[in-house]
Amino acid sequence: MMRRLYALLAAVTVVALALPSFAQGTLVRYTGQLLDVAGGYVYFTTGDAFKLAPSVTYADYDTGKPTTLQPAPKIFARAILDPATKLVVELDLTTRRLATDSAYTPEVQGAVATQQTTARAPEIVGVRVTGREVPVEFIVTVPPSTPINANVYLSTDASGWNPQAIKLDRIDGQRYRAVRRLPSGTRFVFRVTRGSWNSVEVAENGLEPETPHQFFVREVDSFSYPVTVYGWSDNRANAPQGAQPGAIPTPFNPNPFSGGGLYPPSRATPPGGFPTPRPGLPNRPPR
Amino acid sequence: MDFMRPTFFFALAAFLFAAATAAATAAQTSLDVTAKRVDFFYNRFIVTADGDVRVRFSDGTTVSGQTFSMDLKLNRFLIAGNVHIDGPTIHQAGAAMAGYPDLNRTFFLPVGEVPVRYTYFGADWTNPHAGREQPGDAFNFPNLTGERPYIIARGARIVPKTNVLFSLPRIYTAGIYTPLPRYVVTFSANPHYFENAFAGARADISVPFNGSEHSLTALHVRNDEFNGTYLAFDQHFVWDRAYVVFGIDPLTQEERQYNLIAYNRFSSQLESRLFLQESAAQAGIINRPDNAAGFAELDVNAGLRRSGISYVEDNYYQYLLGFQPGTNDTIPQINYDPRWREHPMNASLTWTGFENRVTKFIPILFRLRSSIGLAHDAYGEGGYPNEQPGPPDSRFQSVGGTFYTPTLKLGGAFSISAQYDRQRTWFNVPHQIDAAETRLTLSRRFEKLHTNAFLTYDVRNTNDLWGAAQLAAYPVGTSGCEAGGNTCVNQFGTFSGQDAFRGQATSRGLTAGTVFTPSQSFTFSVQMAHYRDFPLPVPGIYGQPPYQLTLDLRVRLSRQVQLDLTRMDYFNFANERWSPGFGIQFSP
Repeated sequence: MMRRLYALLAAVTVVALALPSFAQGTLVRYTGQLLDVAGGYVYFTTGDAFKLAPSVTYADYDTGKPTTLQPAPKIFARAILDPATKLVVELDLTTRRLATDSAYTPEVQGAVATQQTTARAPEIVGVRVTGREVPVEFIVTVPPSTPINANVYLSTDASGWNPQAIKLDRIDGQRYRAVRRLPSGTRFVFRVTRGSWNSVEVAENGLEPETPHQFFVREVDSFSYPVTVYGWSDNRANAPQGAQPGAIPTPFNPNPFSGGGLYPPSRATPPGGFPTPRPGLPNRPPR
Repeated sequence: MDFMRPTFFFALAAFLFAAATAAATAAQTSLDVTAKRVDFFYNRFIVTADGDVRVRFSDGTTVSGQTFSMDLKLNRFLIAGNVHIDGPTIHQAGAAMAGYPDLNRTFFLPVGEVPVRYTYFGADWTNPHAGREQPGDAFNFPNLTGERPYIIARGARIVPKTNVLFSLPRIYTAGIYTPLPRYVVTFSANPHYFENAFAGARADISVPFNGSEHSLTALHVRNDEFNGTYLAFDQHFVWDRAYVVFGIDPLTQEERQYNLIAYNRFSSQLESRLFLQESAAQAGIINRPDNAAGFAELDVNAGLRRSGISYVEDNYYQYLLGFQPGTNDTIPQINYDPRWREHPMNASLTWTGFENRVTKFIPILFRLRSSIGLAHDAYGEGGYPNEQPGPPDSRFQSVGGTFYTPTLKLGGAFSISAQYDRQRTWFNVPHQIDAAETRLTLSRRFEKLHTNAFLTYDVRNTNDLWGAAQLAAYPVGTSGCEAGGNTCVNQFGTFSGQDAFRGQATSRGLTAGTVFTPSQSFTFSVQMAHYRDFPLPVPGIYGQPPYQLTLDLRVRLSRQVQLDLTRMDYFNFANERWSPGFGIQFSP
């Protein structure tokens, strides 16, 4: 007798605990970001629409009370669906960013009103990327003619092609290095310079590369991108850079001989010497 | 003739404006966006617009909605909320529209009895291709939580993959939004939009105010030690394989430079670049100059089989204006030196070989080169560095090569590389210059300390060889020192032993460097160099400081700003025990 009483008590307890769940179990929820509410449907950023019940209510997401917030693009919402009718009976709205459901439950899937796609689109390819930051190591091998104390930079489209955007550090006799954290999914485009567009990398045949270096940041832990520079546009011959100006006296002395020399002296000297500097001393392109 | 100059400049300005406008209207694909507010997030390259959004495509189709966003790098856009598409062949209402120009597709969610997905191909709005698969994230809004817009504007003209022209923008600068009438952000993968011929400056703030698919017009606020603070102007025309840049620098000072760069890539194996520059001293931009000089440089580069050739020609026009009445080219003037030749020029043709390997078993690489060239009145009579008159024509030919190893790993974390370069140049004036450089570098990576270190020993020899005339060519005494003789005395001290130099110089350099990079946000590098040169340097006349130290600290202050502090020191040179130089740079 007591056993039956205990069993009945246990059953009543279980039913009592389960009742609220049963009550809520008639409804399913989906959380996402709104595109629009129009034509009796609510559209989420998944591109799918759910039909609104004629008596749909709009409530505040946090308090559950009526809200003055209107359903509009970018608003986050929790749709409460009646699986029996497959209609949205309540939309809980907030401007606060919510974690959206990454996938539909079967009940939600069943309530999607948008017609199923029937045709494949072969042009849509690619992998989904999260945008997390990936350390990317740039290793640039420079030509032997590069001075040991030269500054080498990366210039990128992300920095307005500033020729000194990312400074590299020399790590040995021929290589420079830098590390940048780039979001996965980034298409990184760059060229190597020595600090100006007049000293930019050239290909092995001395011509400008037809396209800049570029790569796609994959969804990996880290990766290295090696680049070889064969020459610089201000030294296509790849001769070692000359000694610093003035480092060596008269390295080029075409008329060294005294006593008149090979060539006649200047014709005249104005009072007070020659003007200096020369008018509009011609400039080279920018350094 | 004076009236000709303003006429010319007005004509030039009209031409540039017309060309820029023509280029602007020639754009095939663009989006004109107007809204109550348009924002641009520079570090994300995202444009958003909210409130009464209206987007007009270059085919005339307009789309209205409540919000717009475009990822400029991914080249895709989204219009959502009460969307209406109106064009010659379409009038459609919907919830959202996503454009993928790279896929040549537009994805659309129409509002109707039964929700469906439409896909339009290109600009064909007549066939909606209902029920076709769409990208899973086509209608996702970008997450801009915590981002501050760099530009707030009323409208934007977006040329995909190229630039955005903002109308009535306010630009975030040093904590405040500064209003401007127009501003262009160029994000093209083509770097030629950013080349100009401006001289170096301490500061250069670019204000691009007009742009299109193939053009960019900008004013620059610049500062340098010679001109102070001034304005400059440049106009770019850029295509995939060519560009033209015209610039005036400074625009607001009396000594101006008018620059033009024209580049064309004829084929994958041939390119040319022309640089023209006029330097003029003139009171105003439409005034007749008091003085003017010109410079032209032509580069032609061609690829050959496993080598390339390069032709470079420089032309100088020292005195573009006629002489004042009563003067001629033999009479010195305050602004004219008769030693200056009217039209000096020099040219060289250089051949450079590809990288070759000695054998596949020995890790030694080499590249060969040779050149021929001439100089005509290159410096003007008497214009050589030693102020002696020179020949009107000088011809030369050279042969050289570099032998080097790749970076070779030794035991542990050590590696080594070596190189040897030699070049001989023969001149028609009977002498030749021999240049050689030998360099050996030992490096090590300290993995746990996040540090790289290297040590380089470098020897350079430069010999000006005159054969039997060597001692006459390089007589005893210090070149450039007034006292001459074996000892040179100047304001920096007394320097003896000058008689030993007879045209053959050697520089030996020992350079040590280390880089500490514990994180991407912090880099500290030190480089110390010591040179032992012959002849010994004479401060104020020739030579380089024997001790040089460079410190560089780079700290990332935020996602947008990096601080780069550089300090250089020269030791024990020209009465200076420490001769520091500082550099501060903020960069993205």
